[in-house]
Amino acid sequence: MKILIAIKQAIALDEDFEIRADGRDIEEDFFLPDLNEWDEYSLEEAMLIKERHVDTSVEVVCVTIAPDSADEALRKCLAKGADRAIRVWDDAMEGSDPVAIARALAAVAKKEAPDLFFAGVQSSDHAHGATGIAVAGFLGWAHSAVVARLDYAPGAKEAVLKRELEGGLSQELRVPCPAVLTIQLGINKPRYASLRGMKLAAAKPIETLESSDIGLSTNDCGETGSLSRVRRMYVPEKQRAQILAGDIAAQAKALAAIIREATGG
Amino acid sequence: MDPHELTRILFQDFPSWEVSFFYLVGFAAIGSFIYGVYREVRKYLRGVPDARVVWDYAHIKQGMIAIATHRTLVRRDPYAGIAHRAIFYGFGVLFIGTSIITLEYDITNRLFGLKYWYGDFYLWFKLAMNIAGVSLVGGLIYMMVRRGWIKPPKLDYARPDRAPDAPDYDRSNYRIEDWLFLWILVIIGVSGFVLSGARMIWLADRPEVWDIRWWSPVGALFAYALRALGLNAEGAVILRQLIWWSHGALALTLISLIPYTKAKHIFTAIVSLVVRDPLPAQRLPKVPEGQEQIGYRFLTDMSWKQLLHLDACTKCGRCHEACPARTTGGPLSPRDVILSLRELANSALEYSAVPEQSKLAMHGTGVGQVSSETLWACRTCMACVEICPVAVEHVPIIVQMRRALVEEGDMDPLLQKTLQTIHKSGNSFGESRRKRGGWAKVLPFPVKDARKEPVDVLWFVGDYASFDPRNQKVSQAFARLMHAAGIDFGILYDGESNAGNDIRRVGEEGLYEHLAESNISAMQSADFNRVVTTDPHSFNTIKNEYPDFGGQFEIEHYTSFVMNLIEEGCLTVKKQLGHRVTFHDPCHLGRFNKGYDAPRKLLEAIGCELVEMKRCKDNSFCCGAGGGRIWVPDPVGSEKPAQNRMREAATIEGLEVYVVSCPKDLTMFEDALKTTGYEGKFVVRELLEMLEEALEINLVEAEVTA
Repeated sequence: MKILIAIKQAIALDEDFEIRADGRDIEEDFFLPDLNEWDEYSLEEAMLIKERHVDTSVEVVCVTIAPDSADEALRKCLAKGADRAIRVWDDAMEGSDPVAIARALAAVAKKEAPDLFFAGVQSSDHAHGATGIAVAGFLGWAHSAVVARLDYAPGAKEAVLKRELEGGLSQELRVPCPAVLTIQLGINKPRYASLRGMKLAAAKPIETLESSDIGLSTNDCGETGSLSRVRRMYVPEKQRAQILAGDIAAQAKALAAIIREATGG
Repeated sequence: MDPHELTRILFQDFPSWEVSFFYLVGFAAIGSFIYGVYREVRKYLRGVPDARVVWDYAHIKQGMIAIATHRTLVRRDPYAGIAHRAIFYGFGVLFIGTSIITLEYDITNRLFGLKYWYGDFYLWFKLAMNIAGVSLVGGLIYMMVRRGWIKPPKLDYARPDRAPDAPDYDRSNYRIEDWLFLWILVIIGVSGFVLSGARMIWLADRPEVWDIRWWSPVGALFAYALRALGLNAEGAVILRQLIWWSHGALALTLISLIPYTKAKHIFTAIVSLVVRDPLPAQRLPKVPEGQEQIGYRFLTDMSWKQLLHLDACTKCGRCHEACPARTTGGPLSPRDVILSLRELANSALEYSAVPEQSKLAMHGTGVGQVSSETLWACRTCMACVEICPVAVEHVPIIVQMRRALVEEGDMDPLLQKTLQTIHKSGNSFGESRRKRGGWAKVLPFPVKDARKEPVDVLWFVGDYASFDPRNQKVSQAFARLMHAAGIDFGILYDGESNAGNDIRRVGEEGLYEHLAESNISAMQSADFNRVVTTDPHSFNTIKNEYPDFGGQFEIEHYTSFVMNLIEEGCLTVKKQLGHRVTFHDPCHLGRFNKGYDAPRKLLEAIGCELVEMKRCKDNSFCCGAGGGRIWVPDPVGSEKPAQNRMREAATIEGLEVYVVSCPKDLTMFEDALKTTGYEGKFVVRELLEMLEEALEINLVEAEVTA
């Protein structure tokens, strides 16, 4: 059996970052890249299935849609025990939104034919929370989001899982396989990838593919294949608050002045 | 009298079958001894080769000096050391004496007809044997008194790493062995004297025996005593025969048992001392090129020398007593780590074939295994290694075992987080790299960027001194001090990363390699003559470990650096502080690198009255921050090592200042001062801040900037 895991090299920001000249992203110098936190949990969940069923062969494959700067995130997955790593990228994919990314992931999934497809609930940088479920849409597979517990034995026709809902409710459901699941933080305790493990993983190959290799045309990728486009990225102006002093009349007068100033009157 | 008559006739009046029987027993004993030695050597050789072992004149010499002087044995336990010395020399001389007789009787006389054991030589020989016997028995009696009546706690074998119902908690077999060993030796010694006395009574009518009785004074006293008890010549013949056999049988039994009992330390301790590593915890082992698996998982991952260390331990308990984890109730005693592994090695590696791997697994909670809680309790302060009289090196074993735990991810989640943070940002605070030199911005003069311009002195600042707000003040003080002394210095700003000392001691060797290589390359691309640091941890790893990664730098800790500046007249003490102080030796400056004197000289120079704590210098008590433990909270409710230390300091009457010279110490002890309630009674101060006050640097600064 096979588990395919979508992973992302997420970006944390250094303090005092700067916006890129075109105003649509952060200047790359201030990137602190690391494997998306949610993906640590989905990989761990796959590794637990693999390790709990030593008698059946479980292949854990990680895939990312990103340029080669994301190799480090894939290596971390390999260091933690993933069997294979796939990275899909070409210039046409620049500017892809979650839907375009999901289209590419779905194409990889068709090729790999996994029994389960894991993604994190969301990424820690852009936080769309859309990619995993969009993959299910493209594939037409059963899916479940925000999975907090998973019972699955390799070869089973369905997975039993628990979702946590708002208001302290839990939901338990069965999902027929193959299925797409987005994994929530706290479902397990992700293992540590030692630096030596990562160095040794550097020797393992990363399969690199281009959009054409997975049967996508340039129109399926990048901004043309996306449903959204980033207009600008900015730090919102700080809101001001002040307490108006004096009696009611004085407060009303001061308030009126503020409104006039804000509306340009 | 013919001097040839002045001798002792061996096997006098023995029927020949008795002599033959004795030889038979003797050869059996030697056979047992040889087989036992073979078995032990085979056990050690099941370890891997040890690249750090050097068999050269210097090593052998220092080992022999340690053994001859008992230098390591008298430390912190002088009476036991003296008693052991008496036993060692008594036993040694008696053994040589017996060998001299055997050499004449069985070799030189049999083969060449050469005799030498008569006349004056015989007389002096007797005297020497008597003195040696007294020395042996006296030493043994003290050891019996010590075990039976004085009962020092370190000998009670209580295990902090096991529950009392654990199958290997009970150590009564060790106790039985200890006593048996003492009794066998004492009986051999005393029976020798009884035998000598009985022989004198039996042969009292022969002048060549009786007239020289005072050459064996103790033997003679025994003769008089036996006579007073009514022993006559006929009785003496029987007694002599009885004692002769028991003395001989016991002595041969002892020889045959040496490789199977604690007596083996006679050999293992000697080898251990000879092959001792001069920097056992200061310079941890590098992973050999191309080796994929790192750390120790199975006994056979250990080196032959470490397997031998396990057998060199005599359970003296000095490490048990010195260990800060054990002292504060942690689940670790360095002694029990060694004894557990010894028990495991004896059950797994003493047979003709090496068993399957599961029987060699060092990690776990089973019999002879070491648990991860025990390994993580260690603060790598080196107190155990430093005091071990037989040069057992516990810390490298513990760190190697931790390396395996790190690979498995078996560690505190907070520690895991810290390691990831350090990997990401180069510092344990998770601060931006760019802010590393931020503390220098508030100074009234610019601190040079050593990456951009040449400097005389490169200051390696370290994490705590760079990012911890309290320690930043100390860093600023040191910058002002160097500025006032006219030193041309600079720092690496964001080119510097955590030095890696504690990461290596955690066991995250890959991250250490990464940090060391990054710092070495940053340092090598800068232009400077020497390095200084205020951080003893950085100091240790740059001095002792960076050379293994190609980074050779001349580095000094600020204490000796400033002392030189004062001695050279670059700085003058303007004000005598007149405080009553005590000084805490940081592990990595003191025990690790013998930097005991400079801080004390500095305190004297600034007019402080130094009152030492009982645990000082080589016996300094770790603050608890070492080995990565600063990133792991101590269990709630238990005493922290730093609190234990504050209580010790508080016993000094009229103490005003508890002086530290390490960023982590400042953090740990300022905290412990508050939590132990001594705040207001005395203060914790960094020596640098006291120096700044005594040198009136702030005032000098004012003049410079004015």
